[in-house]
Amino acid sequence: MATANPAFEQLLKKGDLIESRSEMTPEYLRELKHTLIVSGDTELISAPAYYLAARRAPSINAFMTGIAIIQDELAHAHIAYHILEELGEDQEKLIFSRAPKDFRYPYAFDVPLESWTELVVANALYDQAGFCLLGDIHEKCSYGPWKRGLAKVMAEENFHLRNGRTWMKRISQAGGAGRDELQRAVDWMFPLTVEWFGLPDTLKQHTTQLEYRLKGLTNDQLRQWWLGLVVPYCESVGVKVPAHQDGDKFVLDYPFPCQFDAEAKRWEFDKPCSWDDVMTRWRARGPRNAEMVAMFQESFHKFRAAHA
Amino acid sequence: MRRLLAALAEIQDPEMPISLVDLGLIYGVEERDGHVEVRLTFTAMGCPATDMIVEDIRRRLLAEPGVRDVEVRVVWDPPWTAERLTPEGRFALESWGLSV
Repeated sequence: MATANPAFEQLLKKGDLIESRSEMTPEYLRELKHTLIVSGDTELISAPAYYLAARRAPSINAFMTGIAIIQDELAHAHIAYHILEELGEDQEKLIFSRAPKDFRYPYAFDVPLESWTELVVANALYDQAGFCLLGDIHEKCSYGPWKRGLAKVMAEENFHLRNGRTWMKRISQAGGAGRDELQRAVDWMFPLTVEWFGLPDTLKQHTTQLEYRLKGLTNDQLRQWWLGLVVPYCESVGVKVPAHQDGDKFVLDYPFPCQFDAEAKRWEFDKPCSWDDVMTRWRARGPRNAEMVAMFQESFHKFRAAHA
Repeated sequence: MRRLLAALAEIQDPEMPISLVDLGLIYGVEERDGHVEVRLTFTAMGCPATDMIVEDIRRRLLAEPGVRDVEVRVVWDPPWTAERLTPEGRFALESWGLSV
């Protein structure tokens, strides 16, 4: 840990929960805030990203489900930002005054979801990633208020997964062009979610989050957990994924990482790249970063200006 | 009928850790010659899980011996209120952190 603070380290080691700011070291507070911002930003940005696709729902009932999922995501974002506020951050500034590139959500949400099919695949793959990441935090997190807030978040994410999985199965079983569209969606969204879990453990030296028990599993452990849930499901509904089980591990059938053409939503499996290349792409953000952030920032500022 | 109701009591609400029966959604179950009619309501007209609930009911009842088809009829009058929760349902929701 950055600064030696034996009493605090002892508290963490014992497995005690941290309940207030006064108990924290500045390093712990900084790392906790960073983790919460990533979580809040991810939930928040999923709302406009999902909304663009939910508009293409094939029935009123499906639209209602899509909108309910968006409502859940906004509520989950709100929980994270609310805790940040209790930790001394200004929620309004965080949400409405940051530049689009300063948001800390996964690159996947910068690539637009453009159909109901892509939305349900997002529910099955992206929300599954959220489920693994948050489930780990829920189980292991040393910060009490967040750990408790996540109990209900987990239950609601289950509902999103079910929507994704049920529709994937339905679309796949119906066959025809719908099934081809489903396969195309999985083709670009699967590797994007694999990447979501970040650097492999062999490259990631930075383990402060683990030391502080802000999470419990490493990037590769989380990725394996996700693969173990997604690969068998996709296979069971007749959707092909570029990964297979080898013993108790899941192995990718393509060079990881490799290049991605975001405009064409196409992976270039014949063009392996380095993690520095991936980081460069992430930092530059994807095609819809500004648009997604503008979807909730613009009206806020317009309203402010008009009602000042 | 008791057997069918017991089967319905095994089905969990897709959003909350409570069974459809304890939530008070089921208004009635009738069976005649393998044809089952379930009358039920939802907690809100905007319930986002209606499709999932109907699908779960159909799948579970069709697994019962002698059941050939299942018809689900949605009832809005009388509307659902928290009064319809069973004591077990109330306990389940309260333990989950929902005050009812």
